[in-house]
Amino acid sequence: MNGFRQTAGVALTIARKDALAELRGKHAATSTLFFAAIVLLLFGFALGPDSRRLQEAAPGLLWLAIVFAGLLAVGRLHLIETQDAALEQLALYPIDRRAIYAGKALSGLAAMLVLGIVLLGAVAILYGIDLAGAWPALAATLLLGCIGFAAVGTFYAGVTVRMAAREVMLPLLMLPVIAPLLLAAVKATATALGGDPFGELGAWLQLLAGYDIVMLIAGAGTYGFLLEE
Amino acid sequence: MPQTTIYVAPSLGPPDNPPPAVATVELARLFGRSAALAGVSLRVEPGCAIALLGPNGAGKTTLLRILSTAIRPTFGSAEVDGLDVARHGDLVRTRVAYLSHSSGLYDDLTAAENLRFAATMLGVPRDETERRITEALEEVALRTNGAQRVAGFSAGMRKRLALARLLLSPHSLLLLDEPHAALDEDGMRLVDDLIRRWREVGITVLVASHAADRLRPMVDGSVRLDGGLVAEVSGSGVSLNPVGNALTEPMMAAAGQ
Repeated sequence: MNGFRQTAGVALTIARKDALAELRGKHAATSTLFFAAIVLLLFGFALGPDSRRLQEAAPGLLWLAIVFAGLLAVGRLHLIETQDAALEQLALYPIDRRAIYAGKALSGLAAMLVLGIVLLGAVAILYGIDLAGAWPALAATLLLGCIGFAAVGTFYAGVTVRMAAREVMLPLLMLPVIAPLLLAAVKATATALGGDPFGELGAWLQLLAGYDIVMLIAGAGTYGFLLEE
Repeated sequence: MPQTTIYVAPSLGPPDNPPPAVATVELARLFGRSAALAGVSLRVEPGCAIALLGPNGAGKTTLLRILSTAIRPTFGSAEVDGLDVARHGDLVRTRVAYLSHSSGLYDDLTAAENLRFAATMLGVPRDETERRITEALEEVALRTNGAQRVAGFSAGMRKRLALARLLLSPHSLLLLDEPHAALDEDGMRLVDDLIRRWREVGITVLVASHAADRLRPMVDGSVRLDGGLVAEVSGSGVSLNPVGNALTEPMMAAAGQ
């Protein structure tokens, strides 16, 4: 219990440090949000002015925008650690390396949730979607989707952080792995917005939760190896 | 000059016969086909200050990085206080601190915030954290800079802050890689003073440096590396590890040398 409390304390400290660094380097967070908003806008232009078509495509467009902007966000959270070899220093502290993964995943989750909430609002405004009534299901979908994305993103950001071509390698490695998450999140969002007439929302949320658990366990178990050369 | 408390990790093993602070056996590290370390067998006694000398590329930094657990050896073994660095890295990290060429600091955090973060990672008791940070900042003459972001620090100030991090928690072995680099004369005297004090309280110090003359009054002995091998051992506190050289030839063959 003591060990768990210590690990949790270390993870929270790492997440707080990331949040502080991210908030102080405001331009990066703001740029990511603007990028996501522009992606949504461009999707709108690409699909044309037909509002019904936009509303039908909205769940997919929302999650694609979250994924694209999320790639930037999780990559950036590991870039903080490349300043002056901070990642090597972090790996040399006498701490459980699962706590480092948990801390980075927590800060990734916070960034993803902010992104998700802003983009959900942007989708509602840009595509004329009424979220009233669907928000509890949407909140659950967003939370589970972001947990999974942060779990996978933290691991792959750790894999690619030392690579010269990390900006290319991160999406290349990560996108195939998050395909099931994307599918389940889009389906759950569409079902939530459609009022869940066939009662399938629970199954999609269960799939998301299962994916999250598997990815969190795998990430926590293997991330420590990435810190060693 | 104010002097902060030096915290020492309790020694392992029987008090009358403690394990060597560092023991390496045919320690080698390859980067690709190039051998940065090509079979180093050394023994460093606890509580000694030892200079690691040698030209660029001699293997000094690689040796320190292996002992710090930052990288794994390719061949051979290394022990710190009797603990194998590859198998018991988590325990080794509770006893060792490494001052590298890079400061490992976060630019967007202030000096005090960086130390506060380090204190949590190092397991410093919460009720002692602020006092230790204040003392450490004072020791390295950065007390008035505690609220400044590190992004605005010079290389010398970063080095001082990295030194302050070493003062936060107990250690038994300190690995210093070019600790005088980037420092002004005051800073260099601070490093000299700290090396003396660490040695006095029984902390083993390994200092990789090109400043042999500067280190001579502070160290018990020295090791000269060249081409990843031990070229010379002198003084007390350090010796060639008598364990055989059986691994050297296959390793060198693998390295294509």
